[in-house]
Amino acid sequence: MRALMPKAPRATPARRIRRTRATRATIVLAAVIAISAAGCSSSSSSSSGSSSSTTSTSTTSTASAPASTSAVSTSQCGTKPGVQATGTPIALGAIATNQPGTSFTDIPNMAAAYFACVNANGGINGHPVKLYIETEQTNPAQIAADAKQLVQTDHVVGIVGNTSIIECSVDSSYWQKLGYDIIDSGIAPECWSTPNSAAVNMGPRYSSDGAVQYALAQHVNKIVFDQSNVPGTGYIAAGPAALAKAASVPIVQLTENVPISDADSVAIKEVDDAGPDGAVVLNFTPPEALVILQAAQKLGLEDRVKLWGCSTPCNTDFLAQSLGPKWNSKLFVNAELLPPDVTNTATMNLYKAILKQYGSAVSGGIGSFSQMGFTEAEIAVHALESVTGAYTVQSVNAAFKAVSNFNTGMLCQLWTYGSYSMHIPNNDDSTVTPDNGKMVTAQGCTQISSVDPQIAQYRSLAGTAASAPAS
Amino acid sequence: MPPWSDFEPFIVSGLALGGVYALSGVGLVVLYRATGVLYLAFGAVGALGALTAWELGQKGAPGWLNDLVCVAVAAAVTLGYGLIFGPALAKRDPLVKAVATIGLTLVLYGLMDLLWTTSGGEARSLGLPTDNGGFSIGQIQVNWTQVIGLAAGVVITVGTGVFLRYTKLGTAMRAMANDREITATLGVPVRRVEAAAWLGCGVLAGVAGLLLADLVALDATTLTFLVISSLAAVLIARLRSITLTFAAAIVIGVLHDLLTPITSLTNYRDMTPFVLAAVGLLVMPRSRVMTQSREEA
Amino acid sequence: MRATLIRANLIRTNPQNATRQKPSLIKAAVIAVLLLFTLFALPQILSLYYIDTMTQVAVYSMVTLALGVLVGRVGLVSLGQVAVLAIGAWVAARLLFATTQPYPVILVEAGLITMAAGTITGLAALRLRGLYLALITLMLAGAITVVLATVNFPNGGHGFLGYNGSLVHIPPIRRPSIASTDPAYFRYAVIVAIVMFALAAAHIKTKPGRAWAAIRQSEPAALAAGINTTLYKLWALALASFITGVAGGVLAGAVHYLYSIDFPTQDSITLLAVTLMGGVYSMWGAVVAALLYQFLPALLNNWGVSADWLIILFGLGVLQVLTTAPAGLADQVPRDLARLGRLLRSRSRSRSRGRGRTRPRSAP
Repeated sequence: MRALMPKAPRATPARRIRRTRATRATIVLAAVIAISAAGCSSSSSSSSGSSSSTTSTSTTSTASAPASTSAVSTSQCGTKPGVQATGTPIALGAIATNQPGTSFTDIPNMAAAYFACVNANGGINGHPVKLYIETEQTNPAQIAADAKQLVQTDHVVGIVGNTSIIECSVDSSYWQKLGYDIIDSGIAPECWSTPNSAAVNMGPRYSSDGAVQYALAQHVNKIVFDQSNVPGTGYIAAGPAALAKAASVPIVQLTENVPISDADSVAIKEVDDAGPDGAVVLNFTPPEALVILQAAQKLGLEDRVKLWGCSTPCNTDFLAQSLGPKWNSKLFVNAELLPPDVTNTATMNLYKAILKQYGSAVSGGIGSFSQMGFTEAEIAVHALESVTGAYTVQSVNAAFKAVSNFNTGMLCQLWTYGSYSMHIPNNDDSTVTPDNGKMVTAQGCTQISSVDPQIAQYRSLAGTAASAPAS
Repeated sequence: MPPWSDFEPFIVSGLALGGVYALSGVGLVVLYRATGVLYLAFGAVGALGALTAWELGQKGAPGWLNDLVCVAVAAAVTLGYGLIFGPALAKRDPLVKAVATIGLTLVLYGLMDLLWTTSGGEARSLGLPTDNGGFSIGQIQVNWTQVIGLAAGVVITVGTGVFLRYTKLGTAMRAMANDREITATLGVPVRRVEAAAWLGCGVLAGVAGLLLADLVALDATTLTFLVISSLAAVLIARLRSITLTFAAAIVIGVLHDLLTPITSLTNYRDMTPFVLAAVGLLVMPRSRVMTQSREEA
Repeated sequence: MRATLIRANLIRTNPQNATRQKPSLIKAAVIAVLLLFTLFALPQILSLYYIDTMTQVAVYSMVTLALGVLVGRVGLVSLGQVAVLAIGAWVAARLLFATTQPYPVILVEAGLITMAAGTITGLAALRLRGLYLALITLMLAGAITVVLATVNFPNGGHGFLGYNGSLVHIPPIRRPSIASTDPAYFRYAVIVAIVMFALAAAHIKTKPGRAWAAIRQSEPAALAAGINTTLYKLWALALASFITGVAGGVLAGAVHYLYSIDFPTQDSITLLAVTLMGGVYSMWGAVVAALLYQFLPALLNNWGVSADWLIILFGLGVLQVLTTAPAGLADQVPRDLARLGRLLRSRSRSRSRGRGRTRPRSAP
């Protein structure tokens, strides 16, 4: 059998010429790639819309909001408008997943935008906030290393903006040992079940609870709950299972490997299992959910069930535009945060203004991701402003934990950290539905049911937070 | 075990999925028969074309132009690779040639992810005019693009089979894939035939890329590594028979989807291509060709 | 031909063994110094971020070693090595949760079970050769990946699979009691890697190594020479699976948490690319490959550079290796440096001789 590699090359002229040509070609190829990547990377802002067939081709990534009444000045984010902060920086850190197919960098990037606004308008008692962002590719070793990098090398005194599929599981004992109380947008179970993490979102389990709860309220006789097969499916499924059981409605639990390559069979299976009076509730990232819903539409199946539901990731205008009018009042999406298109409050307008002025790194534009980043930064700034004396790990995290009944302007309830053994501070949500390219409210703020044992446990510790007045 | 009527819609969707596998699988075997190279970058090249077409569409160019550009990009990259690395690796094992195309795959994959970064909540999609409109079979609708996907597989299978067998150029390609040096001594214009083979392969990859981007997803990772599942059909046909590749791909697709309603097996249905390939390769009788490392077309 | 037979250790080149002893002594001394530096100095110098990264380098150097043995020594290309690593990690995690056996015992058990799996698969798969064999390993890897996605890695649950999906607190996989901190575990991983490298070296320098070299040259000729090619190919697969299984065990302790999404099929392709780039003919190549695979991405991540550039680099590296530098970086860089040294010396010599003749240097 011929060897895989050639023998020690006795370079004949012809072979050498060929090899030299190949080497030169490789170098040229490398140069071309470098130039094209450098030149074209600016045009990578992605947006939806098919290139040839349908009518809507949105070219910008920010959805056009209803004309906001007052042009809000971003200087409202800080205490001293127009004054650049020049003191010693307060170092904060964030870890976010960024890999092909899943990117959460918008969240810490929006937090950084908020901090930039604050820094341009007085800072925190004159100190600018510097956010160190580490990205990871769902590799536990890398995530643990990122945490150590933030603490040991970057000397961060607080963690704000973590959004990762598994970071909470990997690092929770590390944060606990060092005394960091993190403010994050959680996904993994430990983001809600440990004392050192409090999230601004509800995460896949409780958001799915909300979607299932809405479906049950429409008196469906069966639930099909389908989710992506990433870590935590059992934990996530337990919530809808409890809700369905309490309502005496049968529930079918499904998982799909992502990325989905056979959306047709997934859609058919879901519809078959749900039946004409059933509901299909999805828990996927927006691209995967879109693929399933579009397949259902192509197959003509969207009306074969009573309703479709989706957890919060579906709550983007991009999805509303891509789906088209057939899904108006057919798809009901759980909204963990107040819908930007129909909320015309000062805070929402400030969010949009900051996004516009400082949020160039936020590729997703207006949507739940950037809203989460905004909210986390908002809470952090609120806490930091109460710190007297030096900004140390102890003082900063004590301030984070002391945040109590704070009106973020983005959530249904007032937000509290507190010294509890677990945290689910956002447990009240609304439901939205697409309406000709936008997400509009279908049901206002509703509490997630205490039938979910984790919610019940949290409410026994922390009580039920008050509803937030519109601001 | 669900009743038979539950399986019916999955046969239809399975045929569509089989068509998807067939497009890549047939393309791979055709390329192998014509150039002697298992072109593992087939999916990546198609994805690059599709993403370029999408980019132009975002800038407002008309759909038909974008589709042409997609095919052109795929053809250009493939031709370039073939002209540069074809001769350099001509005398080597098919394994080495295939591993070299892995190099091209990685380069294209990294490039695509750089140029078209993943954003948090959005996804790209590429539509074709044939998406709207179709007909129903039983309870589900089939759109024209799926029909075209399947038909394209058939056309490529029959067309290239005929081309390779009966035309002069096709015979020259097969001879070159077998042994380049001897073919050259026979007076065949080797460089031109080689260029024609690679160009044709590139066009195939571009067309397949366009269809797959519509049928599956416009996502660099999905399209690039879809080729792994398509390899199953290619392997069952021992890299030789285009018709067998097509048939195997259809069977794999249908079987994959037929497993969907069976609760105990549904989570494992993505294994279908791999299990069938392993069974096909290991159980079918060992042929003399296997004892030589240089596989004949 | 002669050069290859020399490389295969089938004939000796230099009858004067004495002059060969000195370079090999120097080589041994260099290796010893490097190892001591790695074990004792590195953990002091590096930040925890890089210590964690270097632990991964140690783990993956074992995997690239195994792959290098298969590809470089025997000529079997495996496109599924990451799946084998996943099996090793799975077995180790299951045992670590279910039993209280000491860590080295579990590592050996993980290695043995992975070896058994690899050998049984090899019995069937080795009927194929060349491209078919490589593709069948890819298919098997794909199948294993799908199974793992459904079955998941053990996380402290009960039953054979040891997976409890509804846990709200996932327990970490334990580490050996003597090596619970990150720097200590790094040393532990390096020591295990040294043992594996020694195991591979022992094989290469003795009878199996010679048989493998003969098989790689020409299998029919080896058969004619009376070598039981099937046995030795199986032996290579068994060794590679054992080493990779042990690496999986070390990985389990390093990361504390295992997820099936961390072992995708396409990683096996990237692994092959870096192994080829590092060089499959020398054991240094395995270390270089592991550095490319784990250290460079961590470095770039720290600098905020996208990992995509590395993917492109690996692709170009594969193309370059296959067309021009078959022995990879581990062979190419020393040769290039030597060539550079010679060039500099000839330049300085000709300058010191004043204007005059400079003989054209012939390529080595």
